[in-house]
Amino acid sequence: MSFATRAGVVRAVDGLSMSVGRGETVGIVGESGSGKSVSMYSILGLLRGPNVSIEGRVRFNGQDILGRPDRELRALRGKDIAMIFQDPMTALTPVYTVGWQIAEQIRQHTDLTKRQAHQRAIDLLAEVAIPDPSRRVNQYPHEFSGGMRQRAMIAMALSCEPSLLIADEPTTALDVTTQAQILELLAELQERRGSSIVLITHDMGVISEVADRVVVMYAGRPAEIGTRQEVIREARHPYTWGLLGAVPRLDSKRARLVTIPGNPISPLDVPPGCAFAPRCTYRHDRCSDRPPMRGTDHLDACWLDDAEKEQRRAEIEEAS
Amino acid sequence: MSDVILRVDNVTKNFSVRRPGRGGRSQIQAVGGVSFEIRRGETLGIVGESGCGKSTLARCIVQLLPVTSGTVEFNGSPLTGLSRRQLRPHRREMQLVFQDPFASLNPRRTVADIVAEPLRVHRFGTRSEIEARVRELFTLVGLDVNSLVRYPHEFSGGQRQRIGIARSLALNPQLVVADEPVSALDVSVQAQVLNLMAELQEKLGLTYLFIAHDLGVVRHVSDRVGVMYLGELVEMGPADPLYDAPLHPYTEALLSVAPELDDGRARTRERIVISGDVPDPADKPSGCAFHPRCPVAQDRCRIEKPSLIHAGDGRLVACHFPRRR
Repeated sequence: MSFATRAGVVRAVDGLSMSVGRGETVGIVGESGSGKSVSMYSILGLLRGPNVSIEGRVRFNGQDILGRPDRELRALRGKDIAMIFQDPMTALTPVYTVGWQIAEQIRQHTDLTKRQAHQRAIDLLAEVAIPDPSRRVNQYPHEFSGGMRQRAMIAMALSCEPSLLIADEPTTALDVTTQAQILELLAELQERRGSSIVLITHDMGVISEVADRVVVMYAGRPAEIGTRQEVIREARHPYTWGLLGAVPRLDSKRARLVTIPGNPISPLDVPPGCAFAPRCTYRHDRCSDRPPMRGTDHLDACWLDDAEKEQRRAEIEEAS
Repeated sequence: MSDVILRVDNVTKNFSVRRPGRGGRSQIQAVGGVSFEIRRGETLGIVGESGCGKSTLARCIVQLLPVTSGTVEFNGSPLTGLSRRQLRPHRREMQLVFQDPFASLNPRRTVADIVAEPLRVHRFGTRSEIEARVRELFTLVGLDVNSLVRYPHEFSGGQRQRIGIARSLALNPQLVVADEPVSALDVSVQAQVLNLMAELQEKLGLTYLFIAHDLGVVRHVSDRVGVMYLGELVEMGPADPLYDAPLHPYTEALLSVAPELDDGRARTRERIVISGDVPDPADKPSGCAFHPRCPVAQDRCRIEKPSLIHAGDGRLVACHFPRRR
């Protein structure tokens, strides 16, 4: 997936292959500009225009959806695949009531009457644990707290019982206690309805609490993919080591945090070889070639051989 | 000079707001009767959720906002009630680092100019002395001295926060009040800035008041921690015991739901998800402000407000029924 810009072609997402199983939660983690949001927007056809080009294949329930006409995608979006955005204040329209906005989506995809859709909106608000839903349904977004707005967004996303829910930093704008409520709600709803979730976040802690599998992205490319256990306890990519080491811990105080030198790179000047090489402590000659994703279930894109990775990881763990 | 660098005594800050639809104005208490001391060379962390009054408290301490009542004492002399002119000599001794490195640097001035401004305001010396000091500060915070003539937009978030830190250190302050200094940064960059702040503290003997919402970050940097809820301190004490065995049910709940890496070393814990939202500060609950959300609240909590009392080992808690360990 790339954008043509005045400064040149930007490959915002480059060679990402991943899958989401039924009922599974996949976490996509990375820093700003790593392509984690753009990758999901592009598969939904939310990024279009003469400057956008997308290559590859996206299959949903076995059917190719990439490049389908917008009319067909519209039937899919919101109904089978729903999205929750980071900032519920900008994702909701300030000039309509919350109930109207939920009902609009329901009426778009079903044959329910206006009144039935309104009733369904009340039921959905109740389902996401908004107190006094029959009064709240007629209120405007600004009358909701941040946590309640995000609940309303979730209610809207769930309105047509999607089989895949894409949540883009759904708790980043929220406080810890509210974040806990929202993550718990998502887990409950998933259990009840068996839907799949893709959770995009920069927070390794959140990933560690909710994801079944994890995709670590850097500079638009996947760096490591594996189960939560594999990525967090047996990480194989130096970038993942850095991400994990940089998180201050709650249970003990480390003298110094592990840092990754430098800054996340601009997608405009990704080096030809390994994208992470300029910031990597373990770079060597091979890194001037781009490493492929290697492995069977637990994959990573790093040239170090397995024994060496194991040894380095042990050293880092020892040091912290 | 005494060991206590900053003494905050019963500081209250009210804001007067218009009540929509009801007419007239009413008072919102953003900070209510907060007292604590910071000792020279230590880092006191203040943690709390949005709207708990932690930033207002920071602004009251450095006298960017006048307090409604209470006193702030810096190096033994009271700051509250001083005129702007009288405050000026104290200002250079306590500096603020802001949260947003994009909004806190003037986009139309070069970074050298930005870092030099406090030096010029406080008549640090001649132009060449100021120039030399700016170079020294750039080196100190790990920035390239060749980038002095550039503008803020040419720097990344982490570099901008280094510029903000350089500016705050320009006048050799004793106390640095950092209000969410790393919350706008990516985690790898956040770690760099936290390490830098620790190095600077060691090198320059700084005292920090570190305000943040991120529990992990606060634990990492702080010697002692204060937890705020609805404008008040609900618990305070040395960082390790506070995190390992919180006394206040709010602290306990907060810690239990903070996301943590499950890397096999994390403590096992029971999640306590507290329901509801933080109440409107204009309409504070009676008694203990936390009682409507508290899992162990009893009748007494609805009526009688608990005060912050000593609980041994330098710990303080404002709860009628603190958790027993």
